[in-house]
Amino acid sequence: MSPYPRYQEPAKESVIRLIGIGNAGVNITDRLAMRAALSVHTVALNSDQQSLAASVAAQKLVLGPMTTHGLGAGGDPERAIDAARESLGDLQQVVSGADVVILCGGLGGGTASAIVPLLAKMAKDKGALVSAVVTSPFQFEGRRRTQQAAESLSELVKHADALVHFENDRMAELVEPRADVAETFAACDGLLFQAIGGLVRILGSPGPLPIALNDLLTVLRATKGGCLFGCGESEGANRAHEALEQALRSPLLDRGRLLQEAGKILVHLSGPSSLTFAEVSAVMNGISKSTAAGANLCLGVGTAGDDSAPLIVTIIGRTGVEEKKPCLPPALPIEAKQEASVPVPSLAPPREEMPSAAEPAVPSTKTQKVKQDFLPLEPIARGRFEKSEPTIVEGEDLDVPTFLRLRIKK
Amino acid sequence: MSKERIHVGLEIGTTKVCAVVAECGRDGEIRLLGVGESPSRGVRKGEIVDFQNASKCVHDALADAEERSDQEINSVWLAVTGSHLQSFNNRSSISMPEDSEITEKEIGDVEYKAKEISIPKENVILHSIIQRYYVDGQEGVIDPLGMLGAKLEADYHIIHGVMTRIQNTIRCVKEFDIEVDDVVVNSVASAQVVLSDAQKQAGAVVIDIGGGVTDYIVYHDGAVRHSGVIAIGGDHITNDLCIGLRIPITRAEKLKIEEGSAFPGGHPHGEKITLKNDTGFSGKEIDRDMLNMIINARVAELFTILKKRIHEVVPEHLLGAGILLTGGCSMLRGVREVAETIFEAPVSLAHAHSVSGPTSAFENPQLSTCIGLVRYAQAVNADMPEETLIGKFKKLINFNLGL
Repeated sequence: MSPYPRYQEPAKESVIRLIGIGNAGVNITDRLAMRAALSVHTVALNSDQQSLAASVAAQKLVLGPMTTHGLGAGGDPERAIDAARESLGDLQQVVSGADVVILCGGLGGGTASAIVPLLAKMAKDKGALVSAVVTSPFQFEGRRRTQQAAESLSELVKHADALVHFENDRMAELVEPRADVAETFAACDGLLFQAIGGLVRILGSPGPLPIALNDLLTVLRATKGGCLFGCGESEGANRAHEALEQALRSPLLDRGRLLQEAGKILVHLSGPSSLTFAEVSAVMNGISKSTAAGANLCLGVGTAGDDSAPLIVTIIGRTGVEEKKPCLPPALPIEAKQEASVPVPSLAPPREEMPSAAEPAVPSTKTQKVKQDFLPLEPIARGRFEKSEPTIVEGEDLDVPTFLRLRIKK
Repeated sequence: MSKERIHVGLEIGTTKVCAVVAECGRDGEIRLLGVGESPSRGVRKGEIVDFQNASKCVHDALADAEERSDQEINSVWLAVTGSHLQSFNNRSSISMPEDSEITEKEIGDVEYKAKEISIPKENVILHSIIQRYYVDGQEGVIDPLGMLGAKLEADYHIIHGVMTRIQNTIRCVKEFDIEVDDVVVNSVASAQVVLSDAQKQAGAVVIDIGGGVTDYIVYHDGAVRHSGVIAIGGDHITNDLCIGLRIPITRAEKLKIEEGSAFPGGHPHGEKITLKNDTGFSGKEIDRDMLNMIINARVAELFTILKKRIHEVVPEHLLGAGILLTGGCSMLRGVREVAETIFEAPVSLAHAHSVSGPTSAFENPQLSTCIGLVRYAQAVNADMPEETLIGKFKKLINFNLGL
């Protein structure tokens, strides 16, 4: 299996299956499938026949054609469960025989809310490594959807090895306020796509300096803190700089500010064969400027066989990873040298399909939401201190009346 | 040398601006001549947010003080506070040629070195207060001047803050062509008149709860161990009441002062307070339990934060003289009791002592800081600083006003 090349055993090819569930899941699967170079086996799974018809996935599966008549679950997880019961055999088949299963979908609706946790459990029982990349709905979509998403998420956490979770509310910041609805949804899908793509790249691209699955899981599996993600892509003379800028500007990094708080950060550069050491070091220097002094940086570099590929910088980090500073803290200099002198690509060949890459495992249940926990659930009452500089002590806004905060906690 | 000097202490507080004019005798006696006050506007959490209004208030307070004391004010000692103030302890050391005598120069050098630490570049050091010296490893040296040694070390408590914010406060005064002798951090000033030497030696905490901020300073073994500011004060209690009881802010303030208590209980359960109607306010019945619960939550939280911070530096059982509360908000009923339950140490209300003048002035905890400024000024100006009560402050850095 590609993801763990440095210690790889003679490599039996690992089978990676990407399963898109529900409308959002199918969309994302399509995007990934259309992007060449990612050799993943994709499955589109939906209770809505129309969305499947448009999909380009290698395998399509209509869920419970008798139960829903191919019209979708109508936002009702109960119906989706009924449909799943009907198609139980198909579902078993979809998850069986895969070494790695990546589930993706937008929680909150009917199909994804019910089926993602279900498939996660089934895949886990079959012994596959399960990872899920999911979104939770916009706040304006209503309490019911939010609740469904939350329930589904808590179920999912029990079964998935890794979980990457984005909140649409936050991702919407990606687009300009005037962008139309389609654009906004597309941007959210796009971000998911980037996240999956980034993971696939990290695990899949051939040397010279791969990131070990272990490192990736350390970052994504920590139980505390939020998940940070940034990705930038550029070509041309100034590509290193531009790609870095783009990556740092990602809204999920809060314009790079969140990097300051990250305890462990994976940086992966994937580029054309002409990628120079100077570019690698320029990017890394740029990143280390934004990170805290004690952060543990893990560098990975992958180069494509030809010269046409763009330079892609992917940053994945986690806030609140404690100071164990495990494996390679001074990653930058040491690994950089390795990269120059000791190409380790040895195991590359078996990995052809590595794309499916390891599971973007963000274990994070509750934590995964970057800073989103801070989104106010209800208007915060600060009264006359509304406009003055807040008094923040240990993360609490003390201008908010104490009795209100205490009540909230209870 | 025996001439008596006039010093003026000015505090631009969140609730009011106070100016104290006092005469300092050669023997360390301080006699209050007059106190000028003006309600404060344009100040939030101890910092100026509306320059025009704030300087008007400063003018009123100074004019009032001139009138009452019959003295012309040319320069003032200014108290500063704000959540931007930070502090830490730092040790520095210098080595000297074998067995040479320690002179003023060496002591100056070691202090200079103590201040060579990295603080944010927009910050400036306000105070560096000597905690103790070590000569060749010998601990507890109070004054190394004249001693022999090869290595001189010193622990300093350093307080620094954002330069521009401090300058704004200074400019507020300079507008009226009044010089600022020096700026002094609130807590440092308050401690001068609230604590006696014996209390400093035994270990004590001064907590000055004002309108917008709470300043605190921790003494142990006669030296400052810790100091800080939390931007929580009486205004927060008023604001909590305003939100919690849904009453206008002015009524909330009045209710807090007249009826409020930080200590729940001590009254019949279910007792109501009737607020009379007023323009734009239709009157209301307030549940006393609710009122006190809201105040208690805020005050208890404040003390809990303070306790945690103080505990990191000096455990409570080492505070022989306990905890002293001062500042306007310390007059709120029940604050002392709440503090006692949380700190689990003796807590007392304190005000300026060892000064003479109108009792009403120095017994008012709201004026502790202002009177402290005068005492501080006296200590700095004393001809023989070693003999003053606070000789350890003799090594003050004069803050460069930068204007």
